Amino acid sequence: MNLSKYSDLFSGYTELRVQENRINSISMLDGIIIGNSRTSASGISARSYTSGSWGFASSPEINTNAIKYVIRTASNNALFLCRHEGRREADLPVSSASGEWDFTTKKPVASQMDRIDFVKNIDSYINDKFIKLASRTVLLKELDMEKQLLTSTGSMAFSMTPRSLIYVILTVDTESGQVQLSETFGNLGQFEDVFVEPSHYHQRLDKLYERILRKAEGVFPRAGISQCILDPNLAGILAHEAIGHTTEADIVQGGSIAADYMNQMVASPLITLVDFANTALGKTCPVPIYIDDEGTAARDVTVIEDGVLKSYMHNKESALEFKTDLTGNARAYRFSDEPFIRMRNTAILPGKNHLSEMIESVEDGYYLIQSSNGQADSTSEFMLGVVMGYEIKNGKLGRALKDTTISGVAFDMLKTVTAVSNDMSWNCAGMCGKKQPIPVAMGGPAIKCMINIGGSK
Amino acid sequence: MHDKHRWFKITDKSKVSESCVNALIEAGIEKASTTLILTRKHELNVESGRISLLRTTDDVELHMMGITDQRMGTTSINKTDSFSIGKAISELEVLIDSSDSDPANEIAEKQPQESFSRGPEKPDVFLMYSRMKVFLELCKAEYPTLIFEQVILNHTVKHRWYSNSNGVYFKSLRGGYDFLVMFTSKEGINTSSFNYVSVSTENLSSDLHEFETVKRTIKQSLEQTVTENLTGSFIGDVIVTPECMEDFVSIITGYLRDYHLMDGTSIFKDSLGKIIANERLSLHSKPVSDKLAVGYFFTEDGYKAENSTLIDKGVLNSFLLSLYGSRKTGKEKALNMGYCYVIDSGAFPLDEMVKSIEKGILLCRFSGGYPSSNGDLSGVAKNSYYIENGEIKYPISETMIAGNLRDMLESIKHISMERVNNGDSIIPWITFSGITISGK
Repeated sequence: MNLSKYSDLFSGYTELRVQENRINSISMLDGIIIGNSRTSASGISARSYTSGSWGFASSPEINTNAIKYVIRTASNNALFLCRHEGRREADLPVSSASGEWDFTTKKPVASQMDRIDFVKNIDSYINDKFIKLASRTVLLKELDMEKQLLTSTGSMAFSMTPRSLIYVILTVDTESGQVQLSETFGNLGQFEDVFVEPSHYHQRLDKLYERILRKAEGVFPRAGISQCILDPNLAGILAHEAIGHTTEADIVQGGSIAADYMNQMVASPLITLVDFANTALGKTCPVPIYIDDEGTAARDVTVIEDGVLKSYMHNKESALEFKTDLTGNARAYRFSDEPFIRMRNTAILPGKNHLSEMIESVEDGYYLIQSSNGQADSTSEFMLGVVMGYEIKNGKLGRALKDTTISGVAFDMLKTVTAVSNDMSWNCAGMCGKKQPIPVAMGGPAIKCMINIGGSK
Repeated sequence: MHDKHRWFKITDKSKVSESCVNALIEAGIEKASTTLILTRKHELNVESGRISLLRTTDDVELHMMGITDQRMGTTSINKTDSFSIGKAISELEVLIDSSDSDPANEIAEKQPQESFSRGPEKPDVFLMYSRMKVFLELCKAEYPTLIFEQVILNHTVKHRWYSNSNGVYFKSLRGGYDFLVMFTSKEGINTSSFNYVSVSTENLSSDLHEFETVKRTIKQSLEQTVTENLTGSFIGDVIVTPECMEDFVSIITGYLRDYHLMDGTSIFKDSLGKIIANERLSLHSKPVSDKLAVGYFFTEDGYKAENSTLIDKGVLNSFLLSLYGSRKTGKEKALNMGYCYVIDSGAFPLDEMVKSIEKGILLCRFSGGYPSSNGDLSGVAKNSYYIENGEIKYPISETMIAGNLRDMLESIKHISMERVNNGDSIIPWITFSGITISGK
């Protein structure tokens, strides 16, 4: 759609965005499809800025009348606030960037039946091979986000950023109740590019089954502070929840403890933490953002460098407040959502240690592998649910753990890091909640640290 | 802000759901249902203590479900033009063809046609602005150490139509205001944990800081910039505030829903009609209550909603099964979709509940992992206080609690006389015994 012809309608700083989110979802429980759905939500929105006040409007229609309506209503909304709140004579930082990034598959489009066959193939493998299961669920979830943006400062962008995921949830019965464990497969890309061959996942499914059987005989960890190795899955969610949110500039303005620690040591010198825009270590990230929804060219933000807090993540308004450069972190989930500061691909960078040596170095502690969820707050105190892990006794993995929780103050806990592994992996399935949901990626190496573990009831 | 050019003509949409059902049947689909939802929202947002953003958003949701040979598909679009609907119907046919045959797939049987309406259809944007402005100025004057992370006041109106090929037809209008405030307190380098509170109301007849839940949680935040760590671990009593109890109710009712009952992982799957909690606990879902500002008149699967009792004096009285979940499990369909929870008040004043505790905590927010399949849960006690010898002593940090949901429900010691109505629930304070509380 040619948005340029509407730029004459802009008064003051304005963003005009056309967006469509398409979701395809297949749910299978114990071999039967219980959900088979497609959703599409598209529309247009405008956001306008007048002397310190913002106005926003959106419409599900995409035509000339609707475009005129959203531009005029956004402008009127900004003027309404400006009249009542008063003018602030500060101009937003100007950005101008252009480009197209289309990750639509080049392969022949797979049918819904092809997708269902793939899901059934995964399900059949589980059903045929894993005989001790009480139930199994396989879910396919695809999200295509297609955006077109025009700003009054000359930015023009088009992106189609798809993500395709399969979730597998297994349950086994034990004498003390049921035990559940899940695994997620998938990445950036449409179904055709991401899910080529079901057998590619057999090894990981075997591992999942082996783990759930170990977990069925698991024990509660000892409550209190212990020496732990956090696998990349946990290190990634820690990076996102405990450090990432604390250093989003709007959260800093909202009272985050990170406001007091700029250019100070907040972690071990072994820790460098980056919110990657689109490319990390030479590879395209799971959630690549090239131009954000304010039309700013997205760049990497090195939040912590060698243990020192170096930067926050910004949108235009926070960059104005902090008198700093734009970072391109402004993102919106739906066409009817306004952009605000969101992470993209947040990761701790790899170090020099081997994971096996890190485990061997622990006399009495835990190797924590998989997290269910996480939260953190303005103090950087975090909580992560842990659904898979092992004891470490004299450098060797021991019994599996039952579900537990770890917690701590990130800016304290990261100072206890004494080793960082030399590998790195991404969790591509993150969906961050902060007024709106948004796809994110979290990654990292394994880290060795002291951490408070929840123990049992 | 002004609707001089009102392109969004709701009156034009009133026949869409029925027309779609007819089109689906004409396309050869055996059974069909559609829901059309039109939403208009006006929303004020605060940034850095200043009202910085006014949003006006319109949206459409058109959900279509079809069943042929017991095979079901669903599709949703946000358009109502004939081209988009035609395309969606074609997609739905593909989805149905690719699905498995499942005898549990069905649509609601015929019921009397009804229309419902509640709450203001149009917002008073000037009043919204005025209430927000007064709230911010009052907080700035009275609570100088308070910092807002997010403040949102919106008016939302939803028009819904449900139709199916058995002749069911419902329509409703529901309007109201929602207020969310998220905040931290900061004195020098001392920072409290963030906290938040939300209120729903059908009118803005009083100032926003007059809501008891808002005032109380903000005052607690001011006290929490300096906290103490508990040392060691003990078994104690935990008084859960109404705001925090909402999260636990959500966890409990999650076990009563379709998925956990269908896959057999609900801890209450064999407990219908049995005691699952102390007899002091009665939990209701009241989507059509006059006392709540939030609710719904009919369910997503096409039944007129009724209030229901989920737990009656400790006995599990109802699951929250949809038509599909009910047919899948062979258990009774629920009278509603849940939410709008109300817990009966107890016999004890809150003060007396605190006085009765030898050692424990007042849990104001719980940051926890998902409970495990057997109901075990653990997490961090946020914005919470240590209680000893019947007195609230000091705010705490880095304190974890652990328990089992079934054991907790059985261990209820007291329920307060006082309750908080935040518009979408009415909940008292509840004391649970035997919780593991661990400091550093």
